[in-house]
Amino acid sequence: MSIKEKGYAHWDGKLKKMKFPWKPITRYGIKLTFKKKFFKFSFFLTLIPALIYLAGIYASEKIEDFSFLTRDTDTLSFLKVDPKYFSSYFTNEFLLFMIVLLMVFCGAGLISDDLKYNSLQLYFSRPIKKNDYFMGKAAVIAFFIFIVTLIPGIMFIIMKLIFSGSFRFLASFPWLFFSVIGYSIFITTFFAFYTLFISSINKNRRYVGIFIFGLYYFSEIIFGIFFGIFKSKYFALLSLKINLQQVGAGFFGQKPAYDIPWILSFFIIIMICIFAVIVLKRKIRSVEVVK
Amino acid sequence: MNVENVEVKDLHFNYGKVKALDGVNLKLPGGAIGLLGPNGAGKSTLIKILLGFLTPDKGEGLVLGYDIKKQQSSIRRYVGYMPESDCLIPGMDAVSFTSYLGELSGMPRQEAMKRAHEVLFYVGLEESRYRNLETYSSGMKQRLKLAQAIVHDPKLIFLDEPTSGLDPRGRIEILDLIMDISSKKDIQVLISSHILSDIESVCSYVVILNKGELASQGKISDLKQINYSLYEIKAFENVERFIDGLRNIGCKVEQTTDKLIKVYLPPEKNPQDIISIAVEEKTQIRHFVKSQTSLEDIFAEVVGVD
Repeated sequence: MSIKEKGYAHWDGKLKKMKFPWKPITRYGIKLTFKKKFFKFSFFLTLIPALIYLAGIYASEKIEDFSFLTRDTDTLSFLKVDPKYFSSYFTNEFLLFMIVLLMVFCGAGLISDDLKYNSLQLYFSRPIKKNDYFMGKAAVIAFFIFIVTLIPGIMFIIMKLIFSGSFRFLASFPWLFFSVIGYSIFITTFFAFYTLFISSINKNRRYVGIFIFGLYYFSEIIFGIFFGIFKSKYFALLSLKINLQQVGAGFFGQKPAYDIPWILSFFIIIMICIFAVIVLKRKIRSVEVVK
Repeated sequence: MNVENVEVKDLHFNYGKVKALDGVNLKLPGGAIGLLGPNGAGKSTLIKILLGFLTPDKGEGLVLGYDIKKQQSSIRRYVGYMPESDCLIPGMDAVSFTSYLGELSGMPRQEAMKRAHEVLFYVGLEESRYRNLETYSSGMKQRLKLAQAIVHDPKLIFLDEPTSGLDPRGRIEILDLIMDISSKKDIQVLISSHILSDIESVCSYVVILNKGELASQGKISDLKQINYSLYEIKAFENVERFIDGLRNIGCKVEQTTDKLIKVYLPPEKNPQDIISIAVEEKTQIRHFVKSQTSLEDIFAEVVGVD
């Protein structure tokens, strides 16, 4: 007798109160992202800087083996693995560009698809709170950004220790490990709020993608225009990219590219995150209530 | 079986200046319950308040013993909800979709997957359960919505217009499923629908809302008997005066396009009064039958369709 003919059957399990109700949202979010066209290829591209920097760490320990490539070893000084090396990885333009591209692929539809296909009511008819929903969606973004920031950062430290065969590197820069974790969390938090905020303001994933990309580079253009006219370095604070780079330099104890306190950039990014939270709280509802 | 799985007292809710619910009191028994009312009566608002989507401006209520204002999470754990509008998660197939929502309800992952297959078989989506949801027809989406509402084996299921957008065959099949689910004595089903015949075929108890107020509630069989008697009359000559006369003694009168007069006779009156008015107005009565009252008649009488 088929299940249909047997009639409705009870489930003999017991519903449990989940410790992390957002976990299924994240798991399925990641799964669906990998199903997207061209995602795997672009994700692979995002990993290229990490592979190059990893190779650099290996080369830094075998500098003599590579000396035949140049007349003097100073030419290979860029291979010196120190906080500057880490800072240049975390704030390099290609990596930031690829992270933005990653956001277009993995983040654009996270909320906008739910708005378009009316699925918010399905989530909120479950024992899911708004915070769980945000957490689940933000964790999808965090998963992908950590793969290109936190994991390579830690890998660099571990590989440096393995290739050098001593703990001297860690003893010289004991704070570097925390800088890697701190900046990875910072950049992930920013991109999570930035992406979810934009994803919540339009039901069309394509427009959201364009907006994620556009706003990021529009801020750069605005900076360029104002800087060109007024020649003031403070206009660098208008650029999202420069703000992220300034904070990155601050985290790794480097001199920022623009001679303005990196803490200002830090506060600007935090303000953007707070603004995103306010918008998200207003936009995400189980039902539309027009009062 | 809990006698009252849903109980609300003096429930008020406003959308700005518009009163959506105005002092609704309800105590719903088990089984399948129909929630009826014209557009804007407050049916969907009531369901959304019971689910905790909306917080009432005034009043209180319990769903499965949980407070609708303070314990929404607990309510949602044990309640299934089938929304009226189409809703899906793009890129998923039916198995992933159903098990995903089962997991969000608190089912263990493996169990949710197993149960998803079972409920998809149950609602008749076994052949297409691995197809992308975006390719589903309206009927399939409706079945899928039912599947996700029952995947976690809820104690109470809210169905908002479960047959909308379905062809006659699909409608019958969905109603059969609902009847089968509600036949389990420990599952209560609350169905909001505009299609009165659907409610009549599935539910034994009905709640009628009108303009945000409770217009009537009770067993359909009781409502049919207690409130009034319905007579179908065909009359000739002075028909308008005859109808006015009936209205003057407190009857509600409806005239169909084929000149059939439906007379809702109040309990304190008897059929002899109708004949007396016909005699007074010199109206010939050529057809006089006590009609079987349908839910449509009750609805018309309660909501005030003349």
